[in-house]
Amino acid sequence: MNLPAEEIRALVGREVAYTAPEPLGRAALRYFALAVGDDNPLYTDAGHARAHGYRDVVAPPTLICETNQYAGLPMDADGYAGHSWHIDVPGARLVRGGNDYTFHQPVHPDDVITATWRIESAEEKAGKLFVTSRATYTNQRGELLAVNEETLIYVEIP
Amino acid sequence: MKAGDEVPALERTIGAADMIAYAGATWDWHRLHHDDAYLRARGLDRPVVDGQLFGALLAEQVQDWLGPDARLRRLRFRLLSMVFAGESVRVTGVVTGVVTGVEGSLVTVEQKVLVAGRVAAGGTAQAVLP
Repeated sequence: MNLPAEEIRALVGREVAYTAPEPLGRAALRYFALAVGDDNPLYTDAGHARAHGYRDVVAPPTLICETNQYAGLPMDADGYAGHSWHIDVPGARLVRGGNDYTFHQPVHPDDVITATWRIESAEEKAGKLFVTSRATYTNQRGELLAVNEETLIYVEIP
Repeated sequence: MKAGDEVPALERTIGAADMIAYAGATWDWHRLHHDDAYLRARGLDRPVVDGQLFGALLAEQVQDWLGPDARLRRLRFRLLSMVFAGESVRVTGVVTGVVTGVEGSLVTVEQKVLVAGRVAAGGTAQAVLP
């Protein structure tokens, strides 16, 4: 791996937080559900959601973990406008290792979301660099909504 | 409900319009999902479906099956192979555990996203049913 050990160690503990400039909004929930093809009325019908123990419509569970809308970042050359650590490993390509979402509380349209990303670990194993990050999603009252742990793997191009 | 029970499969064809809708809904306009020149330069002949969409389908399958009183607590998944514009996916699930606690039953489901004979993603969902 063409990245010195001290640079790998220095990745751990890097942290960045993004706070949305406005509440999530009902349209974001409805748009996401429509895009996925999920017609569950919990996401669009407040009466139905209240009948099942929620105070209002709720966001489809994975919405909070998957949007770039909180980040407020410009679109890059690849058309991507979301969070990135910009880790450059010469001669390696990036592979996504997977995600682990934990849902702590339902997400509602009036939530103003802050996503805080932190690198939890970075280690080289068998010629590959594994970087594990955790995103913690909270609202304007500091309530924990969800956690998203994801692993990025940098693999040397032979 | 018990270990070994099958969850009804969820089937979806992911066309270009669906991919555009998902890109918009998630504010993710990466060229991998729509730009022919970008794809050709990387040896790909069709747009690649955003893998996070499969997370949404895994959640949908479990929520639909358990009903509106169930709360999804955890979803882990790995992307195993690319899915391309126009392909049809089939999400399958098998119950691997049911544990009864104070909140209700914690149900664990092992899931797969299958497409044209390959496994595009694999995951585990956990939900509480009061």
